[in-house]
Amino acid sequence: MKIKSMLLGVVAGAIITTSGSTVAFADTSDKRIALSNNYAGNSWRQAMLESWNNVAFAAVHEGVVDAADAFTTSENQATEQAAQIQNMILQGYDAIVVNAASPTAINGAIKEACDAGITVVSFDGIVTEPCAWRIAVDFKQMGRDQVKYLASRYPEGGNLLEIRGLAGVFVDDEISAGIHEEVANTNFEIVGSVHGDWAQDVAQKAVAGILPSLPEIKAVVTQGGDGYGAAQAFKAADRPMPTIVMGNRRDELQWWLEQKEATGYETTSLSIAPGVSTLAFWVAQQILDGADVPKDLTVPFLRVDQESLEEIVKETPNGSVANVEYSLEDSKKVIQAAK
Amino acid sequence: MKMIENKIDAHATHSALVRGLVSFAKKQWIWAYFAAGATYFVTLLVVPTGGGAGALLYAALTFASFAVIVGVGQMFVVTLGPGNVDLSIPATMTLAGTLALKFMDTDSSLVVPGILIAIGVGLACGLFNFSLILVLRIPPIIATLSSSFLFQSLAIWSNRGLRIKPPEVLANFSTGGFGGVPNVAIIAVLVSIVGWFVLERAIAGRWISAVGQNQRAARLAGVPVNAVRLGVYTGCAVLAGLTGFILACFSGGANLNMGTEYMLMSIAVVVIGGSSIAGGNSNVPGIWGAALFMFLIVSMLNSYGLGAGVRLMLTGLIIVSVVALASRTGRRP
Repeated sequence: MKIKSMLLGVVAGAIITTSGSTVAFADTSDKRIALSNNYAGNSWRQAMLESWNNVAFAAVHEGVVDAADAFTTSENQATEQAAQIQNMILQGYDAIVVNAASPTAINGAIKEACDAGITVVSFDGIVTEPCAWRIAVDFKQMGRDQVKYLASRYPEGGNLLEIRGLAGVFVDDEISAGIHEEVANTNFEIVGSVHGDWAQDVAQKAVAGILPSLPEIKAVVTQGGDGYGAAQAFKAADRPMPTIVMGNRRDELQWWLEQKEATGYETTSLSIAPGVSTLAFWVAQQILDGADVPKDLTVPFLRVDQESLEEIVKETPNGSVANVEYSLEDSKKVIQAAK
Repeated sequence: MKMIENKIDAHATHSALVRGLVSFAKKQWIWAYFAAGATYFVTLLVVPTGGGAGALLYAALTFASFAVIVGVGQMFVVTLGPGNVDLSIPATMTLAGTLALKFMDTDSSLVVPGILIAIGVGLACGLFNFSLILVLRIPPIIATLSSSFLFQSLAIWSNRGLRIKPPEVLANFSTGGFGGVPNVAIIAVLVSIVGWFVLERAIAGRWISAVGQNQRAARLAGVPVNAVRLGVYTGCAVLAGLTGFILACFSGGANLNMGTEYMLMSIAVVVIGGSSIAGGNSNVPGIWGAALFMFLIVSMLNSYGLGAGVRLMLTGLIIVSVVALASRTGRRP
């Protein structure tokens, strides 16, 4: 009797020590998580995969989970991703973390995975299938926040140039809708709007094309990945440099830093950290662990301001995107906030 | 066209001026210039006076240049006949820009080797494309599309999407101008002149057109068909590599997705410029008209503040009209 209870005590103590030191529970140590990613062809996605490798592989190494494999489709096609998810079902993963090519087109495969008892967590590119969890970006808020910042800088208002993303994409419509909603509450007027396809060179070209027809521009609202191109176009046209809201790309931040040092240029920068993949990883781990997680979660924005600029430029690799990797604690906070 | 001809009948004059006008209007490529000019003036209606007109022209020349350089390469490929098109242009651009900028690593003393690397990458990509087409007998569309995955993956692998700035000298050169003309436009004009000479005045151009009109006949007539095709595909890839290099310097660094729009753009400027998509009948001047037009039409619709839907629809409609007009003119009476 005595020995038995003593043994129990040792076991309990061991469990407490483990949970106290590195991770909360060891219940997921035999679970296997897969990342299904639809695209890898830009710096944001590359940083996203790297963050996954850093955090998820470390978690495997520490024995939190058994496996955390990342797979990327080559052609950014929904059909291809659906096939990929079906393979993952056959391979017997316990959870699939997915950045989807389409919010609806892979719902069939997602449903199959759920029916097979697999936990599906979608993030960034979310899916509408109700059985999956969604870690969504509040894109409208992203648009509103930009205008709010500008309104606090210029209460008197002025002319805005809007650089949009890729026409016909949900994200582009949402950010733009947020911008327009908020502009209605201010003294700003949007005098021009171009599509920059979230690429510096396309944005540069589009802005250069519309600038001759525009009056003086007070500020430029953007969608990320297009701020530097806009700055280049203004410079080439020899126009006064407006306040350009940036999207956390290193070249944008670098340019901002140079302007800040030279002329005291002020602006702000916000975007989603590519490390959101690690948030999704921890959320999946928490669900496998039996935690009560609401189906809809929101990704926090990563914001760079005048004060934090130097530090973030230093931390961000040349040519990459400002990033944070989420910890288990961070993910618990996000889950708590959604309850 | 009809109107001009009626006029000629009515006046029954055969003055040199009218004859000149008629032969001018018979050129397929004139419609691209007409369209570019029209969009330019319609845009100017909403441009405030004072430097706006010049600024718009300068921007148009700058951005048209990139489309022209890849367009000249694509034009030669399209001339080779049905099914010949190079879809690996964007990937070649990305790979050349990425590797060259990574090698130079903002060091201005490495400019010359940097350019050589860009050209070398183009050369290698072209040779690879053609070896797929010739040795493995893969249709060009499939061959260039699949090799573009390979090139793109190489670019990703070599640099993980990191954007490296160009050396100061090159950044200043590519964004600068000389005598009111953008430097990139000067390069594009030089490329066009060489392209025009090869196509219209050199034996190589005759061979390319002959292959495009009838490959079997060309072979029987003693044209070195495979050598011609090899030259055209590598030439196209070298021009793509060069464009990737200049574009990367111009826009402050190589991006993994920087060439994307030039896949369709390179084909569009060839077709709108009045070259036959079926091959065998191409021209160089039209590429300039079409490239200017493609830039100006987006500027025009943006300046009028039209929504994305209307903008894309109008772009499509106008392009269809220009191509229809150009191909009508091209038909022999």
